[in-house]
Amino acid sequence: MDLTVKIGDVVVSNPVGVASGTFGYGSEYEQLIDLKSIGALFTKAVTWEPRPGNRIPRIIETTSGLLNSIGLANVGREGFAKEKYPFLSGLACSTFVNVAGNTEDDYARTVEWLDEHAPLTGYELNVSCPNVKEGGLSIGGSARMVEAVTQRVRAVTDKPVIVKLTPNVTDITEIARAAEAAGADALSAMNTLVGMVIDVDTCQSVLPGKTGGLSGPAVLPVGVAIVYRVSRAVSIPVIGIGGIEGPDSALQYLLAGASALQIGTANFVDPTVTDRVLDGIRNFLSQHNLTAVSEIASLLDR
Amino acid sequence: MEHFSTPIVHNAPICERYHVMKLGWPPQFAPPLPGQFLTIQPPPGTGALLRRPFAVSDYDPLLSQIEIVYERRGSVTSHLAACRPGESLDILAPLGKAFPEPTGSARPVLLAGGIGMGPMFFLATSLLSRDTNPVLILGARDSTLIPDLPLFERIDTIIATDDGSRGFHGTSIDALHSFEADGNDMNVEYFACGPMPMLQALAVHAEQTSRKCWVSIEQTMGCAVGACMGCVIPVHGGNGYARVCTEGPIFDSQEIAWT
Ligand SMILES: Cc1cc2nc3c(=O)[nH]c(=O)nc-3n(C[C@H](O)[C@H](O)[C@H](O)COP(=O)(O)OP(=O)(O)OC[C@H]3O[C@@H](n4cnc5c(N)ncnc54)[C@H](O)[C@@H]3O)c2cc1C
Ligand SMILES: Cc1cc2nc3c(=O)[nH]c(=O)nc-3n(C[C@H](O)[C@H](O)[C@H](O)COP(=O)(O)O)c2cc1C
Ligand code: FES
Repeated sequence: MDLTVKIGDVVVSNPVGVASGTFGYGSEYEQLIDLKSIGALFTKAVTWEPRPGNRIPRIIETTSGLLNSIGLANVGREGFAKEKYPFLSGLACSTFVNVAGNTEDDYARTVEWLDEHAPLTGYELNVSCPNVKEGGLSIGGSARMVEAVTQRVRAVTDKPVIVKLTPNVTDITEIARAAEAAGADALSAMNTLVGMVIDVDTCQSVLPGKTGGLSGPAVLPVGVAIVYRVSRAVSIPVIGIGGIEGPDSALQYLLAGASALQIGTANFVDPTVTDRVLDGIRNFLSQHNLTAVSEIASLLDR
Repeated sequence: MEHFSTPIVHNAPICERYHVMKLGWPPQFAPPLPGQFLTIQPPPGTGALLRRPFAVSDYDPLLSQIEIVYERRGSVTSHLAACRPGESLDILAPLGKAFPEPTGSARPVLLAGGIGMGPMFFLATSLLSRDTNPVLILGARDSTLIPDLPLFERIDTIIATDDGSRGFHGTSIDALHSFEADGNDMNVEYFACGPMPMLQALAVHAEQTSRKCWVSIEQTMGCAVGACMGCVIPVHGGNGYARVCTEGPIFDSQEIAWT
């Protein structure tokens, strides 16, 4: 049974990854799961300078979902290299640094710096975080800017570059094609959906920044549809993300055309969810007499 | 930190809206300490997503049990209130920092506001076993929210209600002032859990009187293990925020940037 996934030149041991911002830098979950069993770990976003993050409250539960406004709180590139890198570099799984910034320059210089001072498996460009007013959303919403950022990063590293798409756009396939054209090795789909919760008693929005990013089971059908469309628009691997909480939701992504997966919010609910999902994928493969994860997509609507 | 499924061994109301639940604690696990908390995965059918945090209110090494005191509030706590012994819950514990040891010869004064009583009961029990002569001040809105517990017979307990229906007429902070005015204000150190306004009032009092004050803070949590940055509160120093789940929930009250 072949569970491996190829991202650029890198072979990832299995398709089940953990999503940026929900798994810290790995050490937080060390006591709770065997990190060797994860395919790939995507770190919390790293920016050029440290960021304190947004005002509180930062999270609120919604019906089957989680609305967050963390604001890319992170220790910055130097803090990352000093405090987080030593642990990450010792892990057996693939490790991708999620990189965020406000300008093309930010992305390129952060990746270049990390390549020199804290090299891991590769990078995931977060062009889609909806929480930062400038940068994040506007870059991810424009095919031209996604292409420019991807090109700039492509030019400074030989490691795999994954572009993480935002669902908060009119035509996601246009953005996906722009990233592919600029040299992305894979695409992650998707980041959180913009959402808002208003407290009817106080007549105030619950999050100080008014809106936040929605994740969790509530967004699953949105992510599956996006992966279905994006995987047909490009020929590079697509990593399915959004609302995965067990084998069923994971398999929906693989059937829709995802080559790999990331699990986010569900880690908060059940830290062993990645093991359950991988077992479910193995069982599905044997039930259907398949030998590789890559064959699952061919079953859809046959 | 352990993630396991464990049976409920006892679950009963202790007063209006508050319940106590005892759960099995495998003896091979490191014991929880006063101030630490656990999270419970929402059982199926509650419609809830995120794990719910509760402070540990007691640990019994002989029976291998831990205890929580919880308030019926929304979907998960209402479900918990209807659970029977023998049913199992999915637990993550022990989490967060514990209360520190009292400094030197200071007399520990423990303040609990409302459902903040859980961690104070655990701290009280543990201090009693080390003859530190602690005082417990328990504040609530009215007498229906004050349980009757054997613990109150073993420790100096002052009960305060906002409406005067039981004990001292006033808040737990009013009761503290009255207690200190009676000549008990020499060498004390505060430990508290309760609503933010109460903790802030205590922090101000502690600062004015140059006393140590440790508070247990609540904040909505995502991961509860330090990974998501969702549970922060504003603090002095660092980058201006600290994670309640891992850097807390116990803080030196002077560290917090009260608003
Ligand atoms: C570190 C920590 C320790 C805690 N210890 C205890 C404890 O010992 N006993 C206890 O009864 N409760 C405790 N809580 C609060 C407890 O987690 C909430 O009451 C619980 O999550 C409510 O779940 P629910 O599904 O019943 O209610 P929900 O339907 O989620 O909410 C019902 C109401 O409770 C409020 N609420 C939800 N979560 C919290 C929260 N984290 N803090 C304050 N209010 C909240 C909501 O705003 C809402 O108004 C603690 C919280 C933290 C962060
Ligand atoms: C608390 C939280 C923090 C997040 N931080 C980041 C981040 O720093 N960078 C990023 O690209 N995505 C971030 N995300 C988005 C997730 O990686 C993921 O795309 C999204 O949550 C959808 O997956 P899920 O439904 O499995 O959680 C964050 C999500 C959550 C819930
Ligand atoms: S709840 Fe995730 S960091 Fe505290």
